[in-house]
Amino acid sequence: MIVEDDVLLREGLTLLLGNAGMTVVAAVDNTTEFLAVIADDRPDAVVTDVRLPPTFTDEGLRAASEARRLHPGLPVLVLSAYVENSYAAELLADGAGGVGYLLKERVGKVERFVEALTRVAEGGTAMDPEVISQLLVRRKPDDPLGTLTAREREVLALMAEGHNNATIAGTLVVSEGAVLKHIRNIFTKLNLPNDDGGHRRVQAVLAYLNA
Amino acid sequence: MTRLTPLWTAARYVVVGAATAILSIVALCGLCVVLAMSLFGVGLPAVPEALRLIRPLVAYDRKRAARYLGEPIAASYQPLEGPALSQVAAAFADPANRRDTAWLAVHGFGGLLLCGLVIGFPISAVNNFLIPAYWWLVPGGVQTSFGLVVDSWATAPIAVGIGLLLGWLAFQSPRFARWHALVARELLAPPVGVRLTDRVAELTASRAGALEAHGAELRRIERDLHDGAQARIAAVVMQLGIADQMRERDPEAAFGLVRKAQDTATDALAELREVVRSIYPPVLSDRGLDGAVSALAARCPVPTALEVAPIGRQPAAIEAAAYFIIAEALANVTKHSAADAASVSLGASADRLFITVRDNGRGGADGSLGTGIVGIQRRADAFDGRAALSSPPGGPTVLRVELPCGL
Repeated sequence: MIVEDDVLLREGLTLLLGNAGMTVVAAVDNTTEFLAVIADDRPDAVVTDVRLPPTFTDEGLRAASEARRLHPGLPVLVLSAYVENSYAAELLADGAGGVGYLLKERVGKVERFVEALTRVAEGGTAMDPEVISQLLVRRKPDDPLGTLTAREREVLALMAEGHNNATIAGTLVVSEGAVLKHIRNIFTKLNLPNDDGGHRRVQAVLAYLNA
Repeated sequence: MTRLTPLWTAARYVVVGAATAILSIVALCGLCVVLAMSLFGVGLPAVPEALRLIRPLVAYDRKRAARYLGEPIAASYQPLEGPALSQVAAAFADPANRRDTAWLAVHGFGGLLLCGLVIGFPISAVNNFLIPAYWWLVPGGVQTSFGLVVDSWATAPIAVGIGLLLGWLAFQSPRFARWHALVARELLAPPVGVRLTDRVAELTASRAGALEAHGAELRRIERDLHDGAQARIAAVVMQLGIADQMRERDPEAAFGLVRKAQDTATDALAELREVVRSIYPPVLSDRGLDGAVSALAARCPVPTALEVAPIGRQPAAIEAAAYFIIAEALANVTKHSAADAASVSLGASADRLFITVRDNGRGGADGSLGTGIVGIQRRADAFDGRAALSSPPGGPTVLRVELPCGL
């Protein structure tokens, strides 16, 4: 299901997801229709813009949380022309997982975009690297983030974006065992409960960064 | 206790007033001498000097009266500058100097009298109350305040009556002090016409500043777009053009160029996003100033508390200015203050927006050094607003900004 008011982008997305073997059940340009469509039928995932008619402010976000109230855990991938980490925090607030927040241009890297959407549809998380870099600013002189090594920071960023160990290992060209070791170190340094389970791990990390 | 506070304040006001009144009389005499000498020409060069000596005294009284009334009293003098002759001319032309002289006379005598009355009333009141207790000890009776003599039990109640009257007058001293302060305001504040002229001059300067700032902003945006996104999109067009040419001969290389074009376009978008953010942060139009500021506070590496009164939506230019002022202030806190806590408060009256940014860092911020503070000042000036920075060494640093809005 796609909610996007720009015709080119809407049709482009439909084509792109169709090529990737997905079925677009509906592609609408406003939130009223969006909410009407999902009232009858829960889609596997929703891709929505943030700015939509009538006021072009944050309708998409509000509709997304409305939709998730209707169908708890409904996977939603929000696309936006700019990222604002407070929006990311709002999306993650219900802790149900299945949330994505990406810059629109990430659609260009089709494979990665489809991978992110799939991850979200399966209840995972997909955060834009820009959100993560905004969050990774050191807050205090004694912030434990400052004690992480450069490699650990890379692992933390990828983990916060929502990638699994195999993808992290592939991206950084190291073994999965090494990634596991880094993750254990990170969790110890940040004093977080070690939890291997998929999106709960991401949530813990993002909650920590958002605090 | 609280009922006596105004009495105490009034007494202090008139007693200090008596001191400045004596100085005023001295100053007035000096001025008369200078003027008398001016009649023969020899005193003329001393006139501006004499005025310069008098002004701190008058300014002190102006400040006292303003504090007593609880409202500022403006001062407006024409500058005494340039060659001696033009200074003398300016001294005589400026009505403020005539008004100051009038004040010296009025305050010199009125201030002393007032002090005498305000101190005298309670003392005489007590004296008159006591007369019935001791008149019989004094041969020939005791004279009361208004010349009546108490020399028998029948006349003693008169003294009590006069005591009551004086006591009542003693309790009116805040009112007398207030009248004095009102006279001060009347004479020491510039007349409405002068105030308006000053205001017009201020507004002209702030408007020129706003135009200048606006021009600089336009040039910056033009440069950012021209050197950034525009150049990159031109490159994309070129890369796609070359790819089109190479399509038949070398599909592999053409495909590589298409990829490269995509990367370049992505960079162009990133730069556009930066430019948009620097013109008008999108979060402002989505969430309004309060939402945008809470996002700023959340992003600030120094833990920042927020206190936002309901401010509603303000004109876009004001919201953007307020946003950038807070952003710059928080950036300064992060960079220079070494604070471990900061707070931002936002409030609004009917026609003003108030911003306060505070931190518990090392202080010592200097308006003449940090560009951030200069930038804040300039943004406030452009809207005829005010920015004040207080940052003693050792902290805390407090920035207060006032922006007029809803005009």
